Amino acid sequence: MFVKSEKKVSGEVNYNKIPAHIRRRPYYIIAPGLIILIGILIPFVTAIFLSFTNYSFRLPKWGFVGLKNWINMFKSKEFYHAVWVTLKYGILATGVEMLLGTGVALLLRKDTRYSRILKVLFTFPLMVAPAIAVLIWQLMTSNTVGVLEKVLNIFGVYNFPWAASHSTAMFTAILIDAWVNTSFVILLVLAGIQSLPKSPFEAAAVDGAGGWFTFKTLTFPMLKPFMYIALLFRLMASLQEFGIIYALSKGGPGDTLMNISLSGYINGFTYQKLAGALPYLLVLWFIINKTAKFLVKRQRFLANQAAGR
Amino acid sequence: MAQIELEGITKRFGKISALNNINLKVEDNEFFVLFGPAGAGKTTLLKTIAGAEFPEEGLVRIDGKIVNHVESKDRNVSMVFENYALYPNLSVYDNIASPMRSKLYKKDEEYIKKAVNKVTEMMKINHLLDRRPSQLSNGQRQRVALGRCLVREPNVFLMDEPLAHLDAKLRHFMRGELKEMQTSINSTTIYVTHDYMEAMSLADRIAVLNHGEIVQIGTAQEMYYTPCNEFVACLFGEPEINLLEGKKCVCSRTGEMSLSIVGSDKALELEADVRNVLAQHGADNIHIGIRGNDIQFAFEDLGDEWIKGSVYANEPIGNKVIMTIMVADKKIAITCPNDTVADMDQDVYIKLNLKKALIFDGNTEEFITRHNIDSFKKQGKGVQ
Amino acid sequence: MEKRKVSIGNILEAIGRNLGLTLFAMFALFPLIWMVICAFKSDAQMYNTVFRFTPTLENFKAVLVGTDYFKAFFQNLIVAGGAVIITVLAGVPCAYALARYNFKKKEDVAFQILSFKFAPEIMVILPIFLIFQKIHLYDTYFGLIWVYQLITMPLLIWVVRGYFEDISVEVEQAAQLDGYAWYEIFLKTLVPLIKPGLVASALLAFIFAWNSFTFPLILSGFKIQTITITALRYIASDTVHYGQVAVASTIAVLPEVIVALFIQKHLVRGLSFGAVKG
Repeated sequence: MFVKSEKKVSGEVNYNKIPAHIRRRPYYIIAPGLIILIGILIPFVTAIFLSFTNYSFRLPKWGFVGLKNWINMFKSKEFYHAVWVTLKYGILATGVEMLLGTGVALLLRKDTRYSRILKVLFTFPLMVAPAIAVLIWQLMTSNTVGVLEKVLNIFGVYNFPWAASHSTAMFTAILIDAWVNTSFVILLVLAGIQSLPKSPFEAAAVDGAGGWFTFKTLTFPMLKPFMYIALLFRLMASLQEFGIIYALSKGGPGDTLMNISLSGYINGFTYQKLAGALPYLLVLWFIINKTAKFLVKRQRFLANQAAGR
Repeated sequence: MAQIELEGITKRFGKISALNNINLKVEDNEFFVLFGPAGAGKTTLLKTIAGAEFPEEGLVRIDGKIVNHVESKDRNVSMVFENYALYPNLSVYDNIASPMRSKLYKKDEEYIKKAVNKVTEMMKINHLLDRRPSQLSNGQRQRVALGRCLVREPNVFLMDEPLAHLDAKLRHFMRGELKEMQTSINSTTIYVTHDYMEAMSLADRIAVLNHGEIVQIGTAQEMYYTPCNEFVACLFGEPEINLLEGKKCVCSRTGEMSLSIVGSDKALELEADVRNVLAQHGADNIHIGIRGNDIQFAFEDLGDEWIKGSVYANEPIGNKVIMTIMVADKKIAITCPNDTVADMDQDVYIKLNLKKALIFDGNTEEFITRHNIDSFKKQGKGVQ
Repeated sequence: MEKRKVSIGNILEAIGRNLGLTLFAMFALFPLIWMVICAFKSDAQMYNTVFRFTPTLENFKAVLVGTDYFKAFFQNLIVAGGAVIITVLAGVPCAYALARYNFKKKEDVAFQILSFKFAPEIMVILPIFLIFQKIHLYDTYFGLIWVYQLITMPLLIWVVRGYFEDISVEVEQAAQLDGYAWYEIFLKTLVPLIKPGLVASALLAFIFAWNSFTFPLILSGFKIQTITITALRYIASDTVHYGQVAVASTIAVLPEVIVALFIQKHLVRGLSFGAVKG
């Protein structure tokens, strides 16, 4: 862009190039933040490197083993199970939260005093740490002191196993995840609802359009960009969920809740096979990165579409 | 106060070029108006002088010194922004005092108080000193912005549509104040507007901008009487100048070259000087630019040179009436005395005063000549 | 007739709506209420009462007096607070530069920062664990505060960048023409203007840091303990004192609920990293 300018200047100074001290200013300004973050980026490179070694906390010596860790991983049943659990947990938890959150947001749409108070109260679970949320739900679901056990007793159900059984552990984990995070979807969809322009809806009402028709053709398409953001954030988080599952059952019972994050942790720390665990996590990173890119693209497309561009 | 020179300024935003090879010299103590339609690049040009935009090509000189590398804080220019750009967190007083509190232009509080009072009195906002910008109307905000600009003694005042949001009465008053100030404090001012009356009443010289290029530089007189093309002619004057398609023909009566308007077979006689220029000019296709007050009208046919049309609309606007007349599918607006009454579709006859007409090349839309052209060209055509 | 029909429909709709909302409200809020109830129950009452019981403070005494839970609370405060302070100092200028300046690779830098948010924590943390042990940052405030930047910095930069972008560029240009240097404008004009948003995002970043589980689980040992890790011990022991679990949870949640009330207006924007203006 600055090609032509050299000949026009008088003397040595190129007046059409921004002076260096001004050009460099933004780099100086972002430098501290970037240095802090890049310091943490180094481990990521180390992770790729170490995945080709037999590094372990037990062995004092280590060396290159080439693709052995990767081949082992792709041969093991454990890995495919972990991928399966990761996807199942991610999709189910996100799905439940999206459906429930959107539904509740639509119920909150009408501005009453009740809905205004609820909007504030609903943000509370969202603030709770995953690990603490598990504790809170232990209080709810305990077979000895839990209030849910007492409620289930009324219906003739005794000793509901919750996280202790192979068949209900996933349900319990998703229940807790949904308790914490549904409000996130509610907040985003509500923000979308509040940003809806009034005039198309008035026009639809004048044209005598029915409620369902209005929702299908107007409300939903305009809310979609907001729902995509909620989806993006929730899916990215639930695909790598660690806190809730770890605190609930450490991936158990057996390997029921062993998703990639948990497998990576257990392999790396409990079994002390760090190098063997890293390929798992790199695969997880790959899945999440690809999904994020796809969703971000799609979200932009929808936002533009909703804005009529 | 200082002289401002722009030399080959080109500014691009991505692939779009906002300014294209602008050459301009604003003299010391001159009131210079940048005039043009929205998106012409007027604001970008001001910001380039202010140092808020950096040109990809060309030089900006203030008092002969190249200031491309001088940051805007060190250029000692003061500017009114179109969107006011007031500090939302400061009161009106502090907003106006702001330039006098910076390290560079520091003044003591005593001085500041006097200066702020003086300028706010002039702007009639001295009762608003404690308010925040959010508590003001747009007109009041604009006056605060103007106050913050005028409170200083900079090299040059840059004003981007500073009166646009004032009501008509206040705008008229402020226009007078600005003009008065201009003569009393000897300031160089570059003033952006899209209001032709503002441009004509304030300007020592005007530059017309379009698509990032300078179309014409000259005095208000020159813009009005000898515009360089149809675009400039259309910008000045209300109602907009009428552009009629015409052709060269030979007058049957005098045998001289004359013009006829498309849709009418009447030959219109030309003044000798115009005829001579036209004879040498190749174009056969001519546009006649004629303003509404240079057209006579009558409700009966008065003979030769009177063209028949029908009344299309008749709008009284106070001190005059704008009558729109259809002549062969072409609308012509003329100004009439304010007691003119006409029925729709009524027959009407008009006569063009070709002594006042501007002659354009019908293909290039460039100005060719007009009667008595030398009397309008005293000062030449600006720097360009 | 017509009018009456409409109003019955409206009433039914209102009943349905409020019923749905109340059901969800029970799901969302009852666990918190139950937690507070349990906190005031004695061990014996825990088993044989539901809502009618004699409140007692013995659980609070057990958790807070002579244990390390109190210590963990303050250590958590130091780590999360320290992380937020560093983030604000380094991140706000960063956000400003990303909002205002045009420089090469700007969008790449911005997205790289955002991608930290989506990187699997465990993957980042395993190699960090190795490195931290080598350079003796394992189980130190400095080490934890540094790693917490992964949580707090992307959030703050992206949200605050949006607040800077909301301010008209002309205000900044006007200040330059008034004779102020860029850092004066940044500190005296821009930062005051974004202050409400900045405070809210900093508080939200604080909550995220406060809640972090994975990082302290792996990177802290005996010296530094955070609440999320320490609280978990109450459930892991052989005889679970549910009353103490409840107290530990209540204490962990309380500061967050209070903060949440303060930042309601900015919550959507913060949680969505500025993607939704709310």
